Amino acid sequence: MKIKHLSLMLLTLVLVFGCSSKEKSEKPKIAVVVSTLNNPWFVMLAESAAENAKKLGYEAKIFDSQNNPAIESDNFENLISSGYDAILLNPTDSDGSISNILKAKTAGIPVFCMDREVNADDAATSQILSDNYSGCVSIGIEFVKELKEKGKYVEILGLVGDNNTWARSGGFHSVVDKFPNLKMVAQQSGDFDRNKAMEVLETILQANPDIDGVFCGNDAMAMGAFQALQAAGKETKVKIFGFDGAGDVIEKIREKKIIATGMQFPKVMAQTAAQYADEYFKGRKVFPQRVPVEVELVNAANIKDY
Amino acid sequence: MTISLNHPIIKKSQSLIALFLLCLFISLLSDKFMTSTNLWNVLRQISVNVCISVGMTLVVLMAGIDLSVGSVLGLTAAICAGLLKSGLSFESMDLFVGFSVLGAILAAILIGMALGLFNGWVITKFAIPPFVATLAMLTIARGLTMLYTEGIPISNLGPEFEFIGSGWILGIPVPVWISLFMVLIVVFLTKKTTFGRYIYAIGGNEKAAFLSGISINKIKLAVYGIAGMMAAVGGVLVTSRLNSAQPNAGMSYELDSIAAVVIGGTSLSGGVGTVAGTVIGAIIIGVLNNGLVLLDVSPFWQQVVKGIVILLAVIIDKMNQKNK
Repeated sequence: MKIKHLSLMLLTLVLVFGCSSKEKSEKPKIAVVVSTLNNPWFVMLAESAAENAKKLGYEAKIFDSQNNPAIESDNFENLISSGYDAILLNPTDSDGSISNILKAKTAGIPVFCMDREVNADDAATSQILSDNYSGCVSIGIEFVKELKEKGKYVEILGLVGDNNTWARSGGFHSVVDKFPNLKMVAQQSGDFDRNKAMEVLETILQANPDIDGVFCGNDAMAMGAFQALQAAGKETKVKIFGFDGAGDVIEKIREKKIIATGMQFPKVMAQTAAQYADEYFKGRKVFPQRVPVEVELVNAANIKDY
Repeated sequence: MTISLNHPIIKKSQSLIALFLLCLFISLLSDKFMTSTNLWNVLRQISVNVCISVGMTLVVLMAGIDLSVGSVLGLTAAICAGLLKSGLSFESMDLFVGFSVLGAILAAILIGMALGLFNGWVITKFAIPPFVATLAMLTIARGLTMLYTEGIPISNLGPEFEFIGSGWILGIPVPVWISLFMVLIVVFLTKKTTFGRYIYAIGGNEKAAFLSGISINKIKLAVYGIAGMMAAVGGVLVTSRLNSAQPNAGMSYELDSIAAVVIGGTSLSGGVGTVAGTVIGAIIIGVLNNGLVLLDVSPFWQQVVKGIVILLAVIIDKMNQKNK
């Protein structure tokens, strides 16, 4: 029995250390801390940040904060104690992440934010941001134009506890709400999830069969909305708008089945962040606090460029 | 004749009465609720939860719990889609195996069963509480899903496969047929077989069941295996409905499923409850989701309302047990 226990413990040790063993080296280490790896968009952001850091000759590793500032805080503590030299951060929360960044700053580790902004100017070394708000202002302008300033529409929000959800919704409404003949008949959450968005729109269509447009807070939900409308035979009558620039939505825009989306550039943000870390190691100390990476509107007019 | 709330018929069908009242209430507020398309939508939307929940019912009847069903659903969904799309290739042997729709589905269901059996094995062999064992499986299976999909959805699985989630047979959506079939299988198991009686016996009093010669471990293994299979069936349905396996498919589905079981009157301490009750529980959750969206209730409030309904269901159940 004792031997059995011992062997179980050994197995655990091998599993734990076998997976994380790596040779010592003199190269500076860069940590990529990402808000979640449960969403392809963030996986792409994290992986391309790590790839860029490696290309520049650094060691790089990805840490998942599981959308939870507390786990992010644990990640930071571990990173600081295990001697990382820079952090490329995709924050979990614009306020909740500030104290984590300050901890790293106190330890002399520069933090470069990607995509999501934190509400502090003296914490991160630099923030390379995707402008969700103004990206959705452009979507809003396109929306108003396509619907010819009148009609009924539905908004499908992302996770209601996520700040991107409200930045996108806010940008969209800052334009659309100026047109009194555009009436929002339902505003529901699809949790950024394709299935949930499809089911929610199926139900909304029962109450409002005569809508003219749907604005979705991300592209996965736009795909779900398309499927619900297709099943109801309304996909040609109702105009769909998404946000993110996901591959399947780009295809649907090419087929003229979805009107427009906001293309974000995770790879550009990741590359810039890695580049800045590299420059920091080489002696540059002054960086712009905020570097906006523009969100491009993709519609039938410019789809051939994608 | 006076009808009191303690009348046995009323007590037995209280979840059915709750469902009826809920439907009545919603249809008073919205004339769009009681339409055939809307009701078919509700039944199609709950079919995944029904499949998972009938498996969960067996587990809960044994005083167990399975927190891994959502992740098992995610993993089997991804594997089903992956096999369908790109088959299996063994480069070292220069061997490629392609999968038909049926083959991919069977493979997914077998893997679901294997994951469930593994849960059962850990629980029985090492006497680990089901809560802990299946919690571990929840993260393991989700992690494996991420590894397998690399975090990217697997889409465009072909019209044949899409039929399972979106097609109609004899005027009834295919997912509804499938979930109905799963319900009938489990009802048969619980009502007509010794296996079913043993499940109730174990949940009622495990020691007594053991002393009367029931091989408890075998029954437990089988029940967790069935729960895994049912999760896989749910995975196939979700994937086919979207024509795409999402890496985060099934996330937090275990909670909806436990809610359906509890609202349906199955006791979390085991031994008491029915599959039919669970189906009604799942319908109540589906109708509630549907009604709240139809009435355009704010998404913040929806969560509060759903929580209150679960709480009410458990409180009524508890009060009934006291009255006995």
